[in-house]
Amino acid sequence: MQGIASVFVRWQVLLWAGCLTPWVGNATEIVPPGLPPERPILRALVGGRVVVRPGEVLEPGIVVVRDGWIEAVGRDLEIPIGAEVWRMDGLTIYPGFIESLYVPMRTNPFVDTRMTEPVAVGGWTAGGYQFLGAPGHGVDRGVKGPGHAVGRVLPQRRAVENLVDPEDPGWAALRELGFTAAVVAPAEGIFRGQSALVLLGRDDPNRLILRPAVFQHVAFETARGGRARQEFPSSLMGVLAVCRQTLLEALHYREERAWAQTNPAIAAHLEYNPAWEALWPLWEGTQRMVIEPGSMLMADRAIRLASEFGLTPLLVACGEEWRRPDFWRGCRAGWIVPVAFPELPRLPTEEDWEQVSLDNLRAWDWAPENPAVLRQSGCEVAFTTHGLRDRKLFRKNLKLALARGLTEEDALAALTLVPARWCGVESWLGTIERGRLANFTVVAGGSYFDPAATIRQVWIRGRVYRLSADLETGLAQVSKAPDAAARDREAEEARQADRVRRIARSPLDDVGVLRSPTALKLVNATLWTCSAAGVIPSGQMLIRDGRILAVGRSVPGDPDAEVLDAAGCHVTPGLIDAHSHTAILGAVNEATLPSTAMVRIEDVINSESLTLREQLAGGLTVCHLLHGSANPIGGQSCVIKLRVGAGPEQIRMAGAPLGIKMALGENVKQSNWGDRFTNRFPQTRMGVSAFLANRLAAAREYRRAQEEARRRGVPPPRPDLELEALAEVLEGKRRVHCHAYRQDEIVAFLDLMEAFGVRVASLEHGLEGYKVADEIAAHGAGVATFADWWAYKFEVYDAIPHAGALMHRRGVVVAFKSDSSDLARRLNMEAAKAVQFGGLSEEEALRLVTLHPAQLLGIHDRVGSLEPGKDADFVLWSHAPLDSRAVCLQTWIDGKLYFERETARKRAAMLAEERAALLAKARRLATGSKDGLDEDHEAAQAFFRVCLERLDRDRHCEDVQP
Amino acid sequence: MRTVSPACALIAGHGFLGFWLCVVCVICSGLRAQEQEVLFSASVVHTVQGPTLKPGAILVRGSRIIAVGERLEAPQARKVDLTGLHLYPGLFALNTGLGLREIDAVRATVDQREVGDFTPEVTSWVAVNPDSELLPVARAQGIAFFEPVPTGGVVAGQSGLLRLDGWGVRDMIVKAPLALHVFWPQMNLDPTPRDQSADPARWKSLVEQARERTAGLKTLEDFLRQAEAYARGRGSDWSPAPTAPGGVPVWEAMLPFVRGERPIVVHADEIRQIRAVLQWAETNRWRVILAGGRDAWREARRLAALKIPVIYEHVFTRPARDTDSYDVHYRAPEILRQAGVTVLFSTGVTDASLVKNLPYHAAQAVAHGLPAGAALRALTWEAARCHGLDNQLGSLEPGKEATFFACSGDLLDVRTRVERMWIRGREVSLENRHTRLYEKYRQRPAPQATH
Repeated sequence: MQGIASVFVRWQVLLWAGCLTPWVGNATEIVPPGLPPERPILRALVGGRVVVRPGEVLEPGIVVVRDGWIEAVGRDLEIPIGAEVWRMDGLTIYPGFIESLYVPMRTNPFVDTRMTEPVAVGGWTAGGYQFLGAPGHGVDRGVKGPGHAVGRVLPQRRAVENLVDPEDPGWAALRELGFTAAVVAPAEGIFRGQSALVLLGRDDPNRLILRPAVFQHVAFETARGGRARQEFPSSLMGVLAVCRQTLLEALHYREERAWAQTNPAIAAHLEYNPAWEALWPLWEGTQRMVIEPGSMLMADRAIRLASEFGLTPLLVACGEEWRRPDFWRGCRAGWIVPVAFPELPRLPTEEDWEQVSLDNLRAWDWAPENPAVLRQSGCEVAFTTHGLRDRKLFRKNLKLALARGLTEEDALAALTLVPARWCGVESWLGTIERGRLANFTVVAGGSYFDPAATIRQVWIRGRVYRLSADLETGLAQVSKAPDAAARDREAEEARQADRVRRIARSPLDDVGVLRSPTALKLVNATLWTCSAAGVIPSGQMLIRDGRILAVGRSVPGDPDAEVLDAAGCHVTPGLIDAHSHTAILGAVNEATLPSTAMVRIEDVINSESLTLREQLAGGLTVCHLLHGSANPIGGQSCVIKLRVGAGPEQIRMAGAPLGIKMALGENVKQSNWGDRFTNRFPQTRMGVSAFLANRLAAAREYRRAQEEARRRGVPPPRPDLELEALAEVLEGKRRVHCHAYRQDEIVAFLDLMEAFGVRVASLEHGLEGYKVADEIAAHGAGVATFADWWAYKFEVYDAIPHAGALMHRRGVVVAFKSDSSDLARRLNMEAAKAVQFGGLSEEEALRLVTLHPAQLLGIHDRVGSLEPGKDADFVLWSHAPLDSRAVCLQTWIDGKLYFERETARKRAAMLAEERAALLAKARRLATGSKDGLDEDHEAAQAFFRVCLERLDRDRHCEDVQP
Repeated sequence: MRTVSPACALIAGHGFLGFWLCVVCVICSGLRAQEQEVLFSASVVHTVQGPTLKPGAILVRGSRIIAVGERLEAPQARKVDLTGLHLYPGLFALNTGLGLREIDAVRATVDQREVGDFTPEVTSWVAVNPDSELLPVARAQGIAFFEPVPTGGVVAGQSGLLRLDGWGVRDMIVKAPLALHVFWPQMNLDPTPRDQSADPARWKSLVEQARERTAGLKTLEDFLRQAEAYARGRGSDWSPAPTAPGGVPVWEAMLPFVRGERPIVVHADEIRQIRAVLQWAETNRWRVILAGGRDAWREARRLAALKIPVIYEHVFTRPARDTDSYDVHYRAPEILRQAGVTVLFSTGVTDASLVKNLPYHAAQAVAHGLPAGAALRALTWEAARCHGLDNQLGSLEPGKEATFFACSGDLLDVRTRVERMWIRGREVSLENRHTRLYEKYRQRPAPQATH
C-alpha cells in the first residue's frame, strides 16, 4: 500500500517541483537492491519553533519539504498526505547556517599582518618577479605554465577543482555547529583564487556545489621565512604594491582583449595571462573580492585599495577592529568576523605578569566586543569559525559576543541572511520560506546562542544529518551532588559576569586634540621665528583657523581669540624630521629587488604607533617617512604631520610633494649582509650608478611608449607602477631623496641625475657631503644629515660633526634629521651640536631642524617658520630651544594643542591604573578557570600575539634587511 | 715630567702598596724642587667636592694639584690664563666599548665580545687599541678616563680603567683590573606564538623557557660558589697568580671579586632581572654595581638600602611599557637619586663612537629634575669613588691628579665647546680625526667651474 502511495506521491512531487523550480528534476531514481533506499521525498516538520528569519518566529510552525526544497511554511498548514512527519516538539528550527569562510587545511591559520617583521634571512636574490636586473635570474613563478609573474598571485586557482571533499572531517565539525553550507576557499598566497559555495552534505560532490566560483580571495600575506622571503614581495608594502599592480594589469588586459576583438590581427600579438583574466568577474559584478587584511590598519587600507578600482570588498576581520570604530562608520564593505578571542595564558611565575602590557590586556578585554563594535558602526557582519584554535569554542565565544552587545537577530543574520546575500543565493538560502532550499539547523533546549542548548540535526537539501547530540543513548551521566553543582554553577556564572564586564578603555581615549580654539593669541613669548624676523623677545602671534595670521612685537587683537600667556617661555616652529622610519607598519624595506619604486609608505603608515606621541612630546610636528636603504630604489616616501589620534589618511600631510627614496653605497651593494649575498646586481658602486641609469632609461622609454600609444589611438603598454614612479621623477613631479655617504658616489649620482635632467631634492645622510659641498650647492641639492653619527660602518669613518656647519656655510641647505625614533624626540639638542661644532649661531642652527628640512621636502611655504600664512605648528619650550635644559611644554599643530606635559603625565598615570585593574581581572579569571589552557599549550602564547600597530621598533637606515 | 707620572699611575693601580710608593714619589718629586709650577686661572672652577669658584685658580706642580682657591699667589709659576672659561675635572666614561671597537660593521675592527658563558679571565685592557681614532674624539669632549668592558656570555671578564693619554696601554692604565662584568641571564620569556616565531622548529613554550631560565640562574650561582671555594682554598693572603703551578686561570681571575676587593658590575635592565640581582646581592658580601639599570627606578629604595650604585645607560631609551610616561627614562636618574642611590651615567656598554655625548645624557636628566651638581658629580667624583679612586681622581682638590679641561661654558650644555685639556698636568691635544678632516676641507678652494 505504501508502495502505491509512494509512487503517487512521487508523481505529485515531480509536478510540484516543476512548478517550484525552473527546470525539470531528475526522473525517479530506482536504486538497485542492496543500496540504501531513496529517502521519502515529502516531509513535514511539525510542532517545532520555526525561526523564519531573524526576528520572525512561528511557534509552533509547520514546514513542508518536497524533494529538498521548502514547499510551504505556516502555522496551520495541512500536512500533505503521504508526507513523512517529523515531530519537532521542543526543537527550534533555524534557516541552515552558512559558514562564510572555510579554508580546508589541517590548521587554518590567520593571516597576520600585525607582525610582519623580519623573521629569517636566507640568501636574498631577485627571484619571482619579472625583473631581469640580477644576472642569472629569469622569471621563476614557482609553477609551470602560464600565469602571473609573482608566484603568489594565483587568482585563476579554483577551490571547486580540488577542495570540495565531503569526507573532510572539517565538514562534519561544521555540521556539528549547525552549518549547512560553506564558502570553501583556497589558502595561501596573495591572490588566492576563487572559492566555491557548497552544501555541507555527504553526497556526490557534483550535487553539492551551489556556486562554483563565488568570491575572489586576496590576503595581505607576507612571506614567512625560507625561500619565500627572498622573493618579491617579502614586505607588507610590497604585497600592497603587488595587489595594486595586479588589479591594474587585469583591467588593462581586459581593455586590450576587448580592443583585439575589433582588431583580430592584433590578437595574436597579445600574451595570454590566465591570472589577469580570472579577475575580470570582479568588475562584471559576478564575484566579490574577499580580502584578509590581517590587521586593523590594513583593513582600512584594503577598503581604500579596493575603492581605487571601484570595488567594495568583503573583509575578514582581524579581531581588533575595536581599536578604531571611527574607521568603519559609513563603510560599505562587509565583514566576515571570526570569533577567535585571546585566551589568558598561565604564566610560569607571578612575576611574569610584568610582561603583560596594557595593550595585551585591552586586546583580551575588548575582543568579544569586536563583532558588536562592527555592527554598531553600521557594517554588515557574517560569522566564521575561521581562526579558531578549536571549533568547539565557536558557540561559547559567540555567547560572549552577544553578552557584549550584539543582538541575537544580528547574530542570526550573520549566520544566514547576510552570507546568503553576499553569495548571491538569497533566493535559495538564508530564510525558511517557500521556494528556499530545505536547509535547517535544529536546536533543542532553547536558543542556538545559549551554549547549553544542543544542536540535534542539520538538514541539508532535505536530508537529515543527526548530530552527536541526537545520537546520545540517554545513559545517566555521573553527576555531582546538587549543592555542589549549584555552587559550581554560581561560581561559573560569577566568572562569566566578570568576563563580560569590560573595564578596558578605548585607545582613542588617550590621544587626540587637547584644545582647538578657533583663534589664539600667543603673548609674552620669546619667538624664534626662523624667518627674516629673527628672534622676537616678548613677542605675540595671532592664529586663526589653524593658520598664523600675524607675528611680531604686537599683533592686532581678535575678539574670538583665546589668549595664551607664554611668559618666560620660548616658542619655535614645530620641529621637522627630514628622515625617519618611524610609524611604518611591517618591514621598512622591500629588500628583494634592486628597484622597488612601486612600493609606497603611504600604504603602511602606522598612525597608532606610540612613538609618534613620544616624538610629539619632543616638539616634532612633521616627519618624512622613508624606506630603508636595502636597494638602490627603495620606494615612494610620505610626509606626515604628527596629528596623533588621526588615522593614516588624516595624518598624511595632504599636498606635500611626492618623494622617492634612492640609495647608494654599502647597503645597496649588500656589503654588510653576509657572505652569501653576492649575486644581486649591483655589488659595486659602479653597478649602483649603472643600475640607476638603467631604470631611469626604462622609465623614459615607458613614458614614450605611452605617448606613442595615445598618439596612435591604441591601448597603452602594460601599466607598471615601478616605471610610473620613476617617470614622475623624470618629469620633476617626484622629489628624489637619496641615501649617500661617500663623496665619489655623491658626485657620480648628481652627475647622473643631471644627465637625466633631474634635480635631486636631498642627499640623505650625505656624511661626506662636506668634502664636495660646492658641487652639491651648485647642483642645488640639500643634505639631510646626522649631527654626529659616525664610525658605525666603513663608509662613515670620515663623517664629522662639523659637516652641517661647513656645508651650510658653503651654500647647501642642510637639515639635521633623526633616522631614529629616539633622536626624533630631541632634534633641538641635535641642532645645538651645530653651535658647538662649526660655530653656527643658535638661530642658524635651529633652522637645521625647522625651515631647512621643510625646504628639502618642498613644504616650506606651509611649515618651518613662524610667518603669516603658514600652518600654526609651534612648540612652547621652558628655555631657549638649544639650551640643554629646554623641555618641551606644549606642541601645537594646525592651531590645535596635541601635547601638553602635565596632561601627558596624567594620562600615563591613568593608563597605569587601568592596567592594574585589568591585571586584577585577568588574574581572577586565570586562577579560577576550569577550562583554562594547558600550561604548555601554544594558545597560551596567542594571548601575546604581537599587534604590529602597537609595535614600535627603533629602526633606521642600517636595518637593511627588512 | 713624563717619566714620573706613568710610574705613579702603574703603582697607583696596586692599592695599599701603591699608596706608599706614591708618597715616596711625591717626596721624590718634591726633592726635585725645580719642577715647574703652573697656575691656572679661570672664570669658573668646578671643584666638584668643594665650592664652585668664580673666578678660581689651580696651582699644579708636576702631575698634581697643590692648591685650589679663588685667587692664588704663585710668583714662580708659569701662568695659564683661562679667563672666560670653566674648569672641570676630567670626566669618567665608565661602561664603554671604547678602545675595543673601531667600525661596528667591520668585524675585524671589533674586539669586545668573546665566546663562552664563563670567561672571567678575559681582560679588556689587553685589547685596547691606543691608536683608535675614536679615543681622541672622546677626549676632545673632556673625557679623561674610560672603562673598556668585555661583553660576551654571563661572566664576561674584567674591565680596566684607562687614561686617555699615553703611548701605549701600559701608560694608559689607571687601575686594572677594575671590575668583573656579569651579564645577568635574560629573564624575559619569549611569548611569540609558534605561528609567528622566526623558527617554529625551535619554538619553546613558556614553561619550558621558565625552566631554562631557572637553570641559567642556578649555573651562575654554582659558578660563584665554586669560585668562593677556590678562594678559601687559596687563603686570604694569596695574590692572584694564574701562571703559578696549580693555578686555574678561571678561578684565579675570580679571586679579587669573590673576596670583595673589587666590585662586580652586574648588567641588568629588566625589572625581573633587577629584582633577582637584588635578591642575590642581599645574600653575599660582594661589592655590586648595577649597570644598564633601565627599570632600576622601580626598585630605587632597595638599591639604596643595599648601597648599590647604578650606572644608568637608558636616559635616551624609549619607554619600555605602554603605561610609562614619555619622559620616564629622562626622570629615572632623579628618582634614583632622591631615594638615595648613587647614579652614574653611561652611553651604553657597546658604544664607542658617541661616548663623546656622555655629558648630554646627564644633561637630559638635569632638564628633567636631576640637580646639575649631582650630574657633574656622577661624571667625575662618584665614578672615581665607586672604584676607590676618589682620593686621587674625580675632583679639583689639592693632592689630586692634575687632570682637567677648560670649556666655554656649562659642561652640561650642548652648545659648550671644550677648549683645552690637561692630563696629569700635561696639556694634551684636542685634535682628532674630526678636526683634521674639518680643517682640511674647510680650506678646500672652491672648485673651478669646468663643466
